[in-house]
Amino acid sequence: MSKKSVLYVVFATLVVASLVLSGCGGATTTPIVPGNTPRISQTPVPEKRVATLIFTQEFDNLAPLYSSMWFVWTTWQMFDHWAWEFDQNNEPFPRLVTEIPSVDNGGVSPDGRIITMHLRNDIKWSDNVPMTADDFIFTWEMAVSPQNTVATTYPYDMIESVTAPDPQTVVVTFTDPFAPWLANLWHGILPAHILRPAYEAEGTIDNAAWLKSPTVGCGPYNFVEWESGSYARFVRNENYWGTPAKIDEIFIRFVPDDASQTAALKAGDADLGTFISYSDVPTLQDAGLDIVIEPSGYDEFMFFLVNAEKGHPALLDVRVRRAIALAIDRDGINLDLHFGLTKTPTSFWDGLPYYNNPPLQPYPYDPAEANRLLDEAGWVDSNGNGIRDKDGVELEISHATTIREDRQDVQAVIQQDLAEVGIKLDVNPVDDTLYFASYADNGPAARGEFDIQEWSDGPLFPDPDIYYWLCDQIPTDENPTGENWFYICDEELDRLIRLQSTQVDPVARRDTISQINQLFYEKVYIIGMWQDPDVYAVGSRLQNVKFSGVTMFYNIAEWDLVP
Amino acid sequence: MTRYIIKRLIQGIPLLLIISVILFALMMSMGDPVATMGGRRVTRAADYERLKHQLGLDKPIYMQYFYWLVGNTWTMTDLDGDSIAETPGTRLGILRGDFGTSLVNRKPVMQVIGERIPNTLILMLTGEVIVILGALLVGVYSALRQYSPLDHVVTALSFIGYSMPIFFIALLLMYVFAVLFKRWGLPYLPTVGMFDPQVGKTFGQVVYHMVLPVISMSIVSLASYSRYIRSTMLDVLNQDYIRTARSKGLPRRSVIFVHALKNASLPIATIVGLDLPFLLGGAVVTERIFAWPGMGRLFLDHVQRADTPVVMGILMLVAVAVIVFQIITDVVYAWLDPRIRYD
Repeated sequence: MSKKSVLYVVFATLVVASLVLSGCGGATTTPIVPGNTPRISQTPVPEKRVATLIFTQEFDNLAPLYSSMWFVWTTWQMFDHWAWEFDQNNEPFPRLVTEIPSVDNGGVSPDGRIITMHLRNDIKWSDNVPMTADDFIFTWEMAVSPQNTVATTYPYDMIESVTAPDPQTVVVTFTDPFAPWLANLWHGILPAHILRPAYEAEGTIDNAAWLKSPTVGCGPYNFVEWESGSYARFVRNENYWGTPAKIDEIFIRFVPDDASQTAALKAGDADLGTFISYSDVPTLQDAGLDIVIEPSGYDEFMFFLVNAEKGHPALLDVRVRRAIALAIDRDGINLDLHFGLTKTPTSFWDGLPYYNNPPLQPYPYDPAEANRLLDEAGWVDSNGNGIRDKDGVELEISHATTIREDRQDVQAVIQQDLAEVGIKLDVNPVDDTLYFASYADNGPAARGEFDIQEWSDGPLFPDPDIYYWLCDQIPTDENPTGENWFYICDEELDRLIRLQSTQVDPVARRDTISQINQLFYEKVYIIGMWQDPDVYAVGSRLQNVKFSGVTMFYNIAEWDLVP
Repeated sequence: MTRYIIKRLIQGIPLLLIISVILFALMMSMGDPVATMGGRRVTRAADYERLKHQLGLDKPIYMQYFYWLVGNTWTMTDLDGDSIAETPGTRLGILRGDFGTSLVNRKPVMQVIGERIPNTLILMLTGEVIVILGALLVGVYSALRQYSPLDHVVTALSFIGYSMPIFFIALLLMYVFAVLFKRWGLPYLPTVGMFDPQVGKTFGQVVYHMVLPVISMSIVSLASYSRYIRSTMLDVLNQDYIRTARSKGLPRRSVIFVHALKNASLPIATIVGLDLPFLLGGAVVTERIFAWPGMGRLFLDHVQRADTPVVMGILMLVAVAVIVFQIITDVVYAWLDPRIRYD
């Protein structure tokens, strides 16, 4: 064989080997689906009903406790139920428990420290092992074990003890009264009978096989495989203790590009799309897809840095902050950049109307009033350079946000609006991994390097809890982990935030939140820019799909496919 | 020749070490992997500090590099906060074959990369074969029929293909052959992924789903390669030895493909030799648009999360491939041009 022929053979072998490797490799657990190779033009006969969903972000880790990604949280409900879940009205309903604990049914102690949960007696893992209180205790132990690199220890680190008087009863005792327990506890339970041996052997569950491949769960679907960068598969749990799921298989495909997701939905290559961009909504509607806009508890806000030592001195004056709110055409931004699909949020609790009571209205777009307020506050253009000033200080304010495209668009609009009233805005788009770095790592947001910061945020939805603005959360060299990156210390606000976090009486808590709401409004510590809902596109084959603002899979077992 | 290859390989070791130092230092300034672990919310401060400590990211950069290189099995860390270091290090370091663990999904780096390499190779090698064969065909034809109407058409198409950004080509093809063809009732191609979940991951499905990404990738390279081959072929065809070969009465096919093309291939081998190692790096844009689970997407996803172990693993893999393929290119030179001797 000549040298040239050898080269040809080597090259051809490489290509064929890659094809074979691609067919065999990648999947973590399951090999190639057997069967005859269909011709390209051949339409295969469906043997199973598969719903294809597109996620725009890939999971980082599927195991409960080990991820804070929304896509992961919501997927847990498919294979590993939460103790209670939230419906389309964001109301809790019992899943693994017989009823939601409350003061009225004795499940919550009057002082708010002790929660008693009664588990259903028919729940079992997909390997037919009963789920008991021991699984809950184990979950708590793993969350707070210093050997485990869990994504967050919250709220388990607020717990003093978890005990089990009997296999069907779990008693949670908090160190202090803890009102936000309902929204934050027991999102996914760890199977103690599988993971405890690994923990006892290694002192950590970080390397346990179940964490990489959680094939045993308690939800309506079983996890089957997750091929990195490509897809994850879930098939109906035939041992499910509840009503069996209607669809045979849920196939989640990871498609990071918005335009590709839109094309796939229009071509019928997917039944459901997530995090649809506003600009794609009209074309998807034209293609016959249903668009569902679900409030998520998150809204885009501008946060003022109000501090005598940091930030621009003008922002210490509430009239200047109010003038900025009045000078920005936020309704125009929502209409022009978001096609009117979002509105200006009314408050920090815009997604929780119960707590926005009495309802507030955003400051209107009123540049004339903004000019009047700035004049009244003494900020005038004394040197004729087009920028207001006072005592030799120019009204030049820095604004920072992440490099997301729509945020940069909005920065340009805000800059223009504020220029109209004589305020110069220096815009600073920053990569999010750099922007949100810690105080110790000189993160610009944590260090309070900008006068106005902007990102999407909200209360600990669906709970109204907030804590950022606590005075003792202001970061310093001695307290580098503080999360009050707005450097605002308002004693009244501090008192109200602490009070609401301990109130287990919903009405009393609502009244406190309303006071905070009013205070935010009057002192203009934040400006709501636009609602940041979850936008889904649902294909016509998929039926009975309901979304909660908390997660998207709370009724996944009831989803159905029609031909 | 063997001595030459061994010498080049040994020279590559300090080069890789220098490359690794530079890349590691650059990665450390790419962002903070823990900052975005909080999902939609900024990572809670207490979790931030804990994770930095548990993952060893609170150590000085030189120490992190040292652990990445040689491991930390002789060290102990205090994880339970009692001021007594009780947890032994588990990393072996790349010198002992351990590229570390991904900060994003906590899987071993080699597993993360190993899952993607076959997908990338299938796409990139197929594309490269199409590009080389297509470019040879077009380039040689254009050179032989210089200034013919077809040469002008090919030249125009080459410039169009070369000037279009790949994301535009990819989305255009996807829209036409998937969305519009379906709307028109024609046989249409799939948009994203490697297979139809209804059918499964079969050989035919993978090939079927490769069509659009491979075409998208190939168009730009095909345009540039064909221009290059046309140019080098024209140079060679005007050489005296080609005229001599013709005057000797050698068959036209023999003159073109044995005498002309082999000599014209020398500079082309350089380009291909430079391109081949980067096939391992995948096609960032194409893989992202077609949701193809290859190395390009892996790199992009993990760079965005500042996942140093995975990014370093990919970059070092490509660095090794560059060195190896350069040696292979040198060997091919000697094969193509007998005047070249390395001994």
